Amino acid sequence: MITNPDQQLGLTKKEKTTLRKRLDREPNALEWAMVDAQWSEHCSYKSSKPVLSQLPTKAKHVLLGPGYDAGVVDVGDGYIVTFHIESHNHPSAIDPYGGSATGIGGVVRDILSLGTRPIALLDSLHFGDIKTSSNSRWLFKNVVKGIADYGNCIGVPTVGGEVGFDKCFEKNILVDVVCVGLGKKEDLVLGEAKYSGDTVILMGGSTGRDGIHGVTFASKVLSDESESERSAVQIPNPFLKKLIIEATLEAVNTGYVRGLKDLGGGGLTCGISEIAEKGKNGIDIEISKIPLREDNMTPIETLISESQERMLFVIKQGHEKDIQKIFDKYELSYAKIGIVKNNDKVTIKDGKIIIASLPVETIVNAPIINRSVKIPNYLNKLRKLEPPNEPTDFTKILSKLLSSLTLASKRWVYKQYDHEVGIKTVVKPGQSGAAVLKLDNGKFLAIKVDGNPKHCYLDPYNGAAGGLAEASRNIISVGGQPLAMVDHCQFGDPNNSEVFWTFSEAVHGMADYCKALNLPCVGGKVSFYNEDTGTNTAIKPSPIVSVIGLIDKLSHIRTMELKEHGDIIIELGITKPEMGGSEYYEYIHNFTGGSVPKVNFITESKMQILTLELIKKGLVNSVNDCSKGGLAIALVEMSILGEKGINIDLNNVISECHRIDDVLFSESHSRMIISTNKNHVNKILDLARNYDVPCSIIGTVKNKDISINMNKKEIISLTSSDISKVWSDVIPKCMGEVN
Amino acid sequence: MGKKLLTGLNQYTVNIIIENKPLIRDPEGETILRDLIIKNGVTEVTKVKTAKLLKLEVNAKDKENAKKIMEDMCNDLRIFNPVVSICKITVSSDS
Amino acid sequence: MKIAVAVFPGSNCERDTFNVLKHNLRIDTDLIWHKESNLNNYDAVILPGGFTYGDYLRGGVIAAFSPIMKQVKKMAEKGKPVLGICNGFQTLVEAGLLPGALMSNISLKFICKWTKLRVENNRTAFTNICMKNSILNMPVAHQQGRFFIKNENLKHLIDHNQIVLTYVNNKGETSNDINPNGSIMNIAGISNEEGNVMGLMPHPERASEPALSPLRSADGLFIFKSMLNYLKKA
Repeated sequence: MITNPDQQLGLTKKEKTTLRKRLDREPNALEWAMVDAQWSEHCSYKSSKPVLSQLPTKAKHVLLGPGYDAGVVDVGDGYIVTFHIESHNHPSAIDPYGGSATGIGGVVRDILSLGTRPIALLDSLHFGDIKTSSNSRWLFKNVVKGIADYGNCIGVPTVGGEVGFDKCFEKNILVDVVCVGLGKKEDLVLGEAKYSGDTVILMGGSTGRDGIHGVTFASKVLSDESESERSAVQIPNPFLKKLIIEATLEAVNTGYVRGLKDLGGGGLTCGISEIAEKGKNGIDIEISKIPLREDNMTPIETLISESQERMLFVIKQGHEKDIQKIFDKYELSYAKIGIVKNNDKVTIKDGKIIIASLPVETIVNAPIINRSVKIPNYLNKLRKLEPPNEPTDFTKILSKLLSSLTLASKRWVYKQYDHEVGIKTVVKPGQSGAAVLKLDNGKFLAIKVDGNPKHCYLDPYNGAAGGLAEASRNIISVGGQPLAMVDHCQFGDPNNSEVFWTFSEAVHGMADYCKALNLPCVGGKVSFYNEDTGTNTAIKPSPIVSVIGLIDKLSHIRTMELKEHGDIIIELGITKPEMGGSEYYEYIHNFTGGSVPKVNFITESKMQILTLELIKKGLVNSVNDCSKGGLAIALVEMSILGEKGINIDLNNVISECHRIDDVLFSESHSRMIISTNKNHVNKILDLARNYDVPCSIIGTVKNKDISINMNKKEIISLTSSDISKVWSDVIPKCMGEVN
Repeated sequence: MGKKLLTGLNQYTVNIIIENKPLIRDPEGETILRDLIIKNGVTEVTKVKTAKLLKLEVNAKDKENAKKIMEDMCNDLRIFNPVVSICKITVSSDS
Repeated sequence: MKIAVAVFPGSNCERDTFNVLKHNLRIDTDLIWHKESNLNNYDAVILPGGFTYGDYLRGGVIAAFSPIMKQVKKMAEKGKPVLGICNGFQTLVEAGLLPGALMSNISLKFICKWTKLRVENNRTAFTNICMKNSILNMPVAHQQGRFFIKNENLKHLIDHNQIVLTYVNNKGETSNDINPNGSIMNIAGISNEEGNVMGLMPHPERASEPALSPLRSADGLFIFKSMLNYLKKA
């Protein structure tokens, strides 16, 4: 008997009509619920598919692109790297500890479900102003603790990340997590039910009422009622996850696992439909075999439950015992719940009675929604605003800028993460622009996660393309050749045509960057509805991207700290007066407006290629890219980490700027700062000329003091140790702690 | 009657127990039950729940007043997250 | 010579430890599942770091009751080297093979950072090739690493030279702000009276390769090589 609880179906009238038409009958309650889950924005990407199709996804080294649990990249010698990004924004906003922890659980499961071992995590977090908002501080503290406790417990190092702050995230925080996995090509398992007769086993946690309507929760805007939606809260169990990781990898090693899928949004419904679709088969599921944790669960609740830590295994017929032996060793519960069928239906049975039967193609292919777009009114106004007045005391300005939350040291965050477990972490958090891991084939992997909502707000096209450029430059700066990217598009309500315009523009920008720079997109996510009903404000457009790169040898790895007294400092690239969305404008002047740095793809490409070549030829000692905070911050970072001073002559900076603050703080793209031994300078200048990259000597490395000069006058004078203390203390002080 | 203070208020001992809501999982409690207690032979135990205990000393007019102050405090200062946990407040007169 | 590395549900660092022993030092090493009840063929056993049983209730307490621990105790009694790293140290303490207790860090937070350790006792099974007072670089990563012991037992510890490693600063001096967890007397590692059982919070297996160490050192190898030296002499 199928009961019909107070279903909050997210389906529109049009979608309901479409389903009736496709089935040529009235669906029953269970079938409604299953389609409701699968056709949610979160599971089906119905609004975003047409836009996302612009992103290039192919390359020689890409084995698997978007549409699977994670992207797969060939790194040579029979090894593959898997790569994925996930988020848990809505759950983290009401339960920051559990929400962020289970976010980690989710992204790790995606990596695991391809048969690879997760080897690193990164996080990109965005909050409101933690200096003034106690709610933001509470969220920040607990999100970091949630990620730390979970990642540390499962033994996967968190090796990098970023934390951004902006008032727009006060009620709608962003918690993005990236996971990278490593494995052998021969062990790759896909999420498909390819062979009729294979057994479907559900393993891991039991099924309860957790997260029911979780996907629809993510597809709705947060309102005050949300706090009472307790069934959307998920409790993390990292110990169970750890056992699942080990058991799954051991099972994959037997060779009898022919399909693997983790259960996330949409629960069993989405899991079984997707493996059926990918395997071009049908599946029969026996509902009474599904292990339940709570009493009187209805079939609807069972099939859409989002209980954590559950994996679906498709096992070669006849070899179930080989796999069960492994599950028994780890004392994990499991049940045979179904069988792969040579048809095209997802059939749910209760004993002999069929309680739901839906064609696979129908469930999996939600009707595409073509959203309307409209250029937001605010854009033109903001771009044309008069710039703020130029200050006079640049020493004071630079000190103040270093205490902006976005630029301050994040050590408070990453020292809570075990970043050493796995003994692969060569370049550690806070050490340079990107993290670097040692791979099993003697090569090294560079990873970075990045994004710039402030830029995207004023110019989604250049802001998004710029995010990719910045992430790629960070990979280059540690000696890596960018290989692939994943993106996570986070925007407000897609029904709002202005919001949808920013989404389309952002993807357009990323697509153009990827095509021009040959960077394939191997996966990603879209999260809409990051909006607060109370104030009717959406977050700033936030496409967050992660890029991985490959480094062939240990000797090609570079870090940003200045190394030797007497080294020469060289800048590549041109500084332009593109101040819109800069940390300087936003934090110092509280000013939102102006034009955002544009990405010139050819210029960017040449500069990236040149930098890598300089590194490989052994011509550079340290490298840092110019991004948030501009040239001044890039130099100060190198100085603080190297415990060295610098002497800079701004007159030598190649620029189109008329103001000193523009030169110092513009966030123009395609710029790198290099320090090198004076013997290499001429060679560098020659190579730069060959590549047609603007290049100029701007200063030297000295003892302790930071001295920046213009027109023979010292305009900034700081000691490296003083400024280091200011920069390190910002966040601990905010959180009421001593460093 | 609690300990009488010079100010005319009474001193009460308050226990605040914070535990996960009844229908929400408690992986720690489950693991302790299964892997420590049952595995080592104490099969009489059928359930374990973990909780956090705060012991406070509170000055108030009377027990009801003490309880009200504590309830407001737990809600306002986010002593517990109502999305995940419940909060049991017991006020006693013994110091 | 054969070394056993115990694996419990929730162990994380067993593969790291195994790799250093097997591939860096070329020693015959096996990963042994905790349900194993026979370690007779092994000359030493290492309890690696991790979060056995999720660190639920207290780090190491549930693992202390595991079947393999009976074997570990036997090996300890026979004078064979027994090393507990981080969570492994917690397990040895909970199992009564080492004194004291490991409490939550004073900061109440998990901390991951590189530390400098001074060798206070170079006569244990795991420090015998070190110079006394030499400094070793090794990382810590823990939330419950604060070693604590009652005063009367602390005296016993000192009198019997059971303090093996302490946290020091760049100059080799002990100081409170260098101590990552607030442990009593800046203790990072201790041994039993005989010197064959040692527990330490820092991770030697993470300090065994110059490329992975900020100072390009590989001081963790001193711990493992001392163990080999001890076995050779035995």
